[in-house]
Amino acid sequence: MSSEEQEKGYKSGLIRSLNPKGFNLERYTYMLHRITGVILALYLIAHIFEIYHVGLAVLNNNPQIWYSTLAELSSLGILEQIGLWIVAGSALYHGANGLRLILNEVFGMLLGKPVLPEYPYSPTSLSRPQKAAVYIITAVVVALWIWAGLYLLAGLGVI
Amino acid sequence: MKIRIRRFDGSKSWWQDYEVEAKERDTVLDILLKIRERQDHTLAFRHSCQMGSCGSCGMVINGKPSLACQTRVLELKTELIRVEPLYNFPVLRDLVVDLTGFVGKHRAVKPWMIRRNPEELEDASSEFVVTPQQNMSFVQFDYCIMCGLCDAACPTMALDPLFLGPQALAQAYRYVADPRDEGLDDRLEVLDDAHGVWRCHFAGSCSYVCPKGVDPAKAIQFLKKDILKRRLFRSKKESSSPATLPKVEKVPDNAPHPPPFDYKFEEVSQA
Repeated sequence: MSSEEQEKGYKSGLIRSLNPKGFNLERYTYMLHRITGVILALYLIAHIFEIYHVGLAVLNNNPQIWYSTLAELSSLGILEQIGLWIVAGSALYHGANGLRLILNEVFGMLLGKPVLPEYPYSPTSLSRPQKAAVYIITAVVVALWIWAGLYLLAGLGVI
Repeated sequence: MKIRIRRFDGSKSWWQDYEVEAKERDTVLDILLKIRERQDHTLAFRHSCQMGSCGSCGMVINGKPSLACQTRVLELKTELIRVEPLYNFPVLRDLVVDLTGFVGKHRAVKPWMIRRNPEELEDASSEFVVTPQQNMSFVQFDYCIMCGLCDAACPTMALDPLFLGPQALAQAYRYVADPRDEGLDDRLEVLDDAHGVWRCHFAGSCSYVCPKGVDPAKAIQFLKKDILKRRLFRSKKESSSPATLPKVEKVPDNAPHPPPFDYKFEEVSQA
């Protein structure tokens, strides 16, 4: 059969990759890890752009640019602050989940040992230690993210 | 009950509904066979053993890659069952996917025993001994039936068609973990590659859908650990080569055949 007669890579692509529906808990952590990674990458680009202005100020010996950047950063609008809150949440989640992945991938931890498969099969790599790590990370990240939100609201004078 | 099947005839694809009467113990494969026998003989799908051993009837049932012969329709607890070909595979026709690339990736990781001295395989002076404890380090990954469900569930496969995939990587680890094998360095070219083991980000879906309890995600993480260790420390794996085992005297080719075992049957007294 020629390649034209094949339906190539059925249901492949970004949406298929990020859609965790019908799969395991770790698939949701995978999705969040990817999305938070993209948010952090976009933030990093914006941050470098911001720092670039300060660098110009130093190079040109022009403190005015430095002062104006500081003034801009100290008077962020509500949408910009919400954006920073999302970036903070992304950094918290990406970092904490990244630590779990390092334990898995570099040290082979939380995976259990190779076993003789016995029906009904239950993969040890997705069993209790792994789930516990996911729940603990999620709880800690959510708690810190809420705290960051309250800090933000206090800064805005709402509470 | 209603079953909705994704059809493909080589040029266009569409969803087709069938009304089927299902019995209590019917599997999705039973239903597909009924449809092909009584309603639509053009429906194409693979199947063989009908007992979860051959891995031929892999397909996506209600969004989850599953073996049709091991999925009972009543256990799905839905009025409408959606059946699709395996995700991330080129479709040839209806539910039949092209496994050429899948098998090629399996072959690329050299899923066979590699020894530094290949002559040992031809002219071994003694057994390649594996203790039961050593056997447990890889036997789980030996249960793979190559059904392709893990590759269909893998989110990285959905983005990178060149990724080796959980099936091939788990089989690579099966041999890397084997104390008789000395071929990790030979496999590094494909495993430690941009489309190799590091593309796995541990979503765990491969292990979640595996119908034989192989747990490919675990094998892949262990493989990463081994490769990292090899790259960082260049440690040579200790082998259980025959040189460390007691030598067994070779029987010369012209030696007379040993006498046949003298079977002595005890006469059974007729009661």
